[in-house]
Amino acid sequence: MALIRTCHGHHDNSDCCQLSSGRARPVGGPVARDRGGATVTGEKLLVPVSESPTLRNTVAYAVRNAVEGEDRYDAVHFVYPASRRVAGEEYIESARELLERVAVWAGEDLGEDDPDLTVETELIGVDDYLFSPGDYVDLLTDYARDEGIEAVLLDPEFNPGENTPLLPPLEAELERAGLVVETAPVERGTRRDRLVRRAGLGQFVLLAALSYGFYLLIGGSLAAFDLVTGAISAAIVATVLWRISLTGPVRPGQLVARLARMLVFTPYLLYEIVVANLHVAYVVLHPSLPIDPEVVEFDAAVWSEIPVTTLANSITLTPGTLTVDVTRQHFTVHTLTESSREDLLDGGLERAVRFVFYGRAAARGPGPRERGDDGGEES
Amino acid sequence: MVTLYEGAIIALLVGGVFFGIVAAVGLLRLPDLYTRAHGASKTDTLGAGLSLAAAAAALGSGLPTVKVVLLLVFLFLTNPTAAHAITRAAADQGIEPWTSEDRGDGE
Repeated sequence: MALIRTCHGHHDNSDCCQLSSGRARPVGGPVARDRGGATVTGEKLLVPVSESPTLRNTVAYAVRNAVEGEDRYDAVHFVYPASRRVAGEEYIESARELLERVAVWAGEDLGEDDPDLTVETELIGVDDYLFSPGDYVDLLTDYARDEGIEAVLLDPEFNPGENTPLLPPLEAELERAGLVVETAPVERGTRRDRLVRRAGLGQFVLLAALSYGFYLLIGGSLAAFDLVTGAISAAIVATVLWRISLTGPVRPGQLVARLARMLVFTPYLLYEIVVANLHVAYVVLHPSLPIDPEVVEFDAAVWSEIPVTTLANSITLTPGTLTVDVTRQHFTVHTLTESSREDLLDGGLERAVRFVFYGRAAARGPGPRERGDDGGEES
Repeated sequence: MVTLYEGAIIALLVGGVFFGIVAAVGLLRLPDLYTRAHGASKTDTLGAGLSLAAAAAALGSGLPTVKVVLLLVFLFLTNPTAAHAITRAAADQGIEPWTSEDRGDGE
């Protein structure tokens, strides 16, 4: 069984870290031992942790590296440098919870396979003052010396102070202190904006009304039973999602105007889709397959999430053009033929989307080409 | 004899089948992932769209028609999103798009 210990003191008070497993803790330098045929030194790995998007992957990397990497480790120490005097009791509490999570994660990563990796988690520097990168370096090197640790694995987004970027100086300083430092080669999965946002009663009511309407429409009856269950369902949906689905203030007038203009937009989009579909059908069925695909990039003159999403989806719906990526207003579009490229850069769809969201005045205006943004080819 | 109304439904269905076939042919003939995404995801949208429109017309006015129209709406929302997700994943993986310069390379 893997050994996982958690210690929540600062490291000076090491009594609480005494093992009860009967395994002697290696002190000082490497101790050669035999583990299932492979000779393993008694080396330990120090992993400073803090709340970060890449922490989960760093933990996984540390455990995997310790068990099956080139330089195997005997023990992994996850430490959280947190100062009660600087950050307050609440921060210490959350640090403690984080360390508990780290211990659980490490246990998951170990599974049942490796019986001989010790995982320790510890809160350090609780009673110290931690301000500058130098303070963290001193704390970590002291800990490493006391525990006989020579190697450090850094989480690329490790930042316990939550203020200055700590990693570059930390890395250099730890190396100067004679430790072997590696930054875990992990990336954050996807960069997320905050999912839950501020919202008011307007969003709640609108979402509940929409859900209720949809429920009754699908149910197709106005019996008392459906009215009651629909109201309950709508309330649940709105309670769970009201701060997620709708953002921005609710202005009924604007909403109605947009919906009305959307009704004008829909036939136009349908027409565009049919025309472009016929074109693609011609290209696909033509014996010589006359395609000339190219990736074009341009900045669209639309703002904020929903208009940009609408434009991106409209571009994709119109055959011959396919939105590959959007970053803010910068579109990367794959175009199938020369003429679909022409249509895209003429900006007809873009104008239509502007019309829906900003009104008739905004619909006039140059397309991407006239703005001098005529689709630099992506190499 | 078919009435005009039934004729319209049949026309819609034929159109739907036609674009469905075009989508399949495109999937087979086009050279790489990006161009195939064009063929597969969009002519398919219109194919399914026309078929659903035929279904809506055949059902006549009423609640089932509303549901079919809703199906159409969701199809038009989800299809481009899926195509976008696939091609973006491909772009993130660094897959280079096929260009006409690749033609004749025995591809």
